[in-house]
Amino acid sequence: NPAFFRSIFWVVPLLLVLSPVNSSSCTMGNKTTEIRVKYENILSYDINELVNMSAEYRDRCCRKPRNSKVFFCNDTQEIESLQSMACNMLRFFHKQKISKDFRWKAALVSCGTLQVLQCKCERQKKEK
Amino acid sequence: VLRMTRMSTVLSIFVLFLHTTFGESGCTSVDGDGTFGDDEPDNFDINCFSQLEFKDSYSSLTCNFMEPPPDNTNYTLALCNKEDSNYVCFNMEKREDAYFLQFTDILSNKDICMDSETKRRVCRSLVVTDMVKPEVPFNVNVTYQKEANEYLIHYSTPHSWKKYLQDKLIHQIAYRQEEGTWKTIESPYLQVKLLGKNLENDASYEVKVRSQPNGDFFRGTWSEWSASKSFRTTREQNFMENYSNVVLVILSILGFMLSVVMIVLIGTFWENRIKPAVWPNLPDHKKTLEQLCKKPKNNFDISFNPENFGYVHIHKVDDIQAKTEQESFLQPSNAPETNLPEKFRSGSDLKMIPAMTDKSNPNLSVTYGGIWPNEALHKILGTSQTTVTEGNCGSSTYEVCHSIGVPLHDDGFNHSSTPSLGPSGQPGLEPVNGDTMPTGEMRSPNNEEAYVTMSSFYKVQ
Repeated sequence: NPAFFRSIFWVVPLLLVLSPVNSSSCTMGNKTTEIRVKYENILSYDINELVNMSAEYRDRCCRKPRNSKVFFCNDTQEIESLQSMACNMLRFFHKQKISKDFRWKAALVSCGTLQVLQCKCERQKKEK
Repeated sequence: VLRMTRMSTVLSIFVLFLHTTFGESGCTSVDGDGTFGDDEPDNFDINCFSQLEFKDSYSSLTCNFMEPPPDNTNYTLALCNKEDSNYVCFNMEKREDAYFLQFTDILSNKDICMDSETKRRVCRSLVVTDMVKPEVPFNVNVTYQKEANEYLIHYSTPHSWKKYLQDKLIHQIAYRQEEGTWKTIESPYLQVKLLGKNLENDASYEVKVRSQPNGDFFRGTWSEWSASKSFRTTREQNFMENYSNVVLVILSILGFMLSVVMIVLIGTFWENRIKPAVWPNLPDHKKTLEQLCKKPKNNFDISFNPENFGYVHIHKVDDIQAKTEQESFLQPSNAPETNLPEKFRSGSDLKMIPAMTDKSNPNLSVTYGGIWPNEALHKILGTSQTTVTEGNCGSSTYEVCHSIGVPLHDDGFNHSSTPSLGPSGQPGLEPVNGDTMPTGEMRSPNNEEAYVTMSSFYKVQ
């Protein structure tokens, strides 16, 4: 009876609608103190190392900037800005033209940032 | 159909309820919130500690069972991360009686899970930054500071050149006398001082160090003790000994500086002052006389070398006679040089001395014993030339001879005789120093006049 299947499968869309959806928003919220402490004691050192490593590649800019996005750190949107920057930096992990150490350090900083902010990225599984 | 629809509705609601209850997939927690607090109690009594940056950027986790598990039971410890909807676990490596795992992420919250063949997995939350065990300090050294009577203990830690625990450790220094009880000191710095007055004199001590996170962010346990360092305290120093040592040092420094200054002064003033005072130079006669005598304005030769005066006419004197000449004998008439009143004494040959005839000083009077040449004699006297021959005393000759008071014919005065010089053998010229001779008076020749010949020329002004 075709009606049987229609009566069953309409539940799936309902489940999809009613099931708790994990949104890509960060969950740290207003826990700025915890964010600051983790940044000062752990994340800041890794960021400094990444900056020092970036100095070696200062003259090696992209010849063909494609879809370059400018990240603005707007007021009350700092966490979202950092999330977007970290998620984009994770894309470099698979770029073979960049040195392995630099890619590894960039990934470490990105993942550490997302961890501190309790954020997620789209297609984060693949990046990680 | 309606009945089937109602069944499906109930079923969907039930499934939805279960989905909400269980949350993420893979969760086996009874609580349903992902934690294992109310799970089955287990023998999950393990002790773990983490070591940050133990190798490059990797951190490590080391766990061991507080109570050894029963034999014939294989246990597996795993470190799990909750990522998105997944629960990613990494099995720890078993090393003897401990389980070891290295990782890079120290920010995320982790779980330590135990798996066994007989029991289901049991997990427990774990914060890596709250169980940090620093690395062992090393290079413990003891230095005695004599002036302050203190013992400086300094050491090193590998975290000084790492990033997370740098300046975030507290160090504990333990010291004891030989086989005594340990005493401890805590300091956040890499050196401490022990006062000598608090220690026994001339005793052997032992010291060791360990570290721990200071608790601001990182917490954990003490590290292992460092290697012990032994040292011996000094004997009691006498105050006078110290004072005498200080005085000795000061005196040594002053003596050295004084010797250096003396050497410099001696080297500086040796030639100019010291040597002339110690070994005075004997005066040089020539130089002394040259300094005493005034240099003539004109180009006069200042020399005692007779060869330099070859151009000078030298009037030889046979002998020296008494001063009995007439005053009127010498009359300056023709020759310009005859302005000088001259007196001759004997019949010896004479030569004009041009040097004497200084026109600037016509008052020069010279007395000498010499032989005038005939030409000069006549020139002076204004008479015709007559030769004063031997034994030939003419009128003119007589006058001449008489004028000079020379006995002509008696007592053996001989004009032709070779001029016999005075006792000094030199013609005597009276030195005149700008003063004229007393007229009509002839000074008796003496030895002093015989020596004053060349120098008198200098005084003719």
